[in-house]
Amino acid sequence: MAEAPVLTDPFTEAAERLKTLTKVMSTKAAIGQTPKELVWTLNKAKLYRYTPVLPQEQRHPVPVVLVFALMNRPYILDLRPGHSFVEYMVNKGYDLYLLDWGAPGPEDKNLTFDDYTLDYMPRAIRKLKATFGVEEFSLLGWCIGAILTTIYAALRGDEDGLRNLILLTAPLDFSDKQNLTFARWTDERYFDVDKVLATFGNMPGEMIDYGAKALKPVENYVGNYVKLWDNIDDPRMVESWHAMNTWVTDNVPLAGGAFRQLIVDLYRKDKLMRGELMIRGQRVDLSRIHANLLTVIAEDDHITPSCQSEPIMAKVSSADKELFRVRGGHIGIMAGSGASKFTWPHIDGWLAPRSK
Amino acid sequence: MAEDPVHDGKRFDPMEPWKGVRDIYLDAWGKTMVDMVNSEAYAQATGAVLDTYLTVSAPFREAVEKAMLKTLEQLAMPSRADVVSIAGRMTNIEMRLDDLDAKLDGIQRLIVQAGTAPLAEPRPAHQRSKPPASKKTSSAKKAKRGKK
Repeated sequence: MAEAPVLTDPFTEAAERLKTLTKVMSTKAAIGQTPKELVWTLNKAKLYRYTPVLPQEQRHPVPVVLVFALMNRPYILDLRPGHSFVEYMVNKGYDLYLLDWGAPGPEDKNLTFDDYTLDYMPRAIRKLKATFGVEEFSLLGWCIGAILTTIYAALRGDEDGLRNLILLTAPLDFSDKQNLTFARWTDERYFDVDKVLATFGNMPGEMIDYGAKALKPVENYVGNYVKLWDNIDDPRMVESWHAMNTWVTDNVPLAGGAFRQLIVDLYRKDKLMRGELMIRGQRVDLSRIHANLLTVIAEDDHITPSCQSEPIMAKVSSADKELFRVRGGHIGIMAGSGASKFTWPHIDGWLAPRSK
Repeated sequence: MAEDPVHDGKRFDPMEPWKGVRDIYLDAWGKTMVDMVNSEAYAQATGAVLDTYLTVSAPFREAVEKAMLKTLEQLAMPSRADVVSIAGRMTNIEMRLDDLDAKLDGIQRLIVQAGTAPLAEPRPAHQRSKPPASKKTSSAKKAKRGKK
């Protein structure tokens, strides 16, 4: 006997959809759920160690430290169970650490790249090495985190035992102004960085969020919600959208000093790639980077176009270096639906033999 | 007889043709907007808007800050500047603690190397020296000391 059709009237369906929409727009998804413990802390920065799931003899002996951008929460790397880079790497046997910068307060408005790369990062690495008895480690930097890891690698990498350096969508070269919308917006003719920082102290997260979204305004302010509405009956799609929306709307201010350096020294003067960037009196010489290098470029990245990430390959002294291009956007390559098929396995495939 | 729209797998959606038109429109609009935000004119306009906002709002912000400062003084409460100053000092103390912690780690390593087998397995969390205490825990310790 045939099953009786489920009768739903359009009003009930519409009500259910609106209920789902209200829920995802007004609540936070459960994110960053991979178990971890606090290893070290300084001011707002925290170093976490993800709980290993494999016995020590099956794990890679060289630990990996994740360094994310300063103005976003790092849990994009651990978005939700079953779709988490952190979970993937822990399952692959990596001893994984996360350096979470936290949210700067008014008292941190003078923090600069100098502080992050010469105070915070070396101290976190020192603690990691002392606590877990390792001499070498790998660093994975993403976006502004890649700027910090690059500066750190040039200044302290050899001294501290940096073996592998992975740069994801790294904005390092700012010479091609035509391709950099941010460079145009923050041009000294139009944007008074000192006036902004005198007013706010730190660069407000909302302004950074606006800047990132305004690069593709229709896609971010309209298309994103249209996509949700079109797929509102698909629980998997809704769950994914909810988690990503939770991350996107959780903005962190950028410390004023670091923001000034980003705009003046990098976007305007391109000092890092020219070899003119000074960090506490030391010149950042990229040829001093000897660690094995993997640079990952997102081909559809509108925030960090490939022209910003490629040139470092010719500047470093690493004997072992690789440039990997992957289809996707700035965030999509690590958190999108294709991340677990392309980016994560490639990072694992590159890192595993270099972590023995 | 007409097919059952529910059991056919794909339900008839009267909005489907409209969605196609909508997507084409959104795509075209999106491209136009990307071109627009990439222009010098847009950069100039947004810069001008921001500058105007900062200039116009400055006197109001200053007035609010002065009033707030006076109020806090009247109530014998610390101002933002006071809290910022204390936070800076706390960070300096944290750095000193961090250096002391590193020295202790070094001494512990030397003792282990000199006496017993090397540490192979990372020590469990409860055996490890704790990270520098947060503001909350350090104040709690101070309170305990005060009691003694």
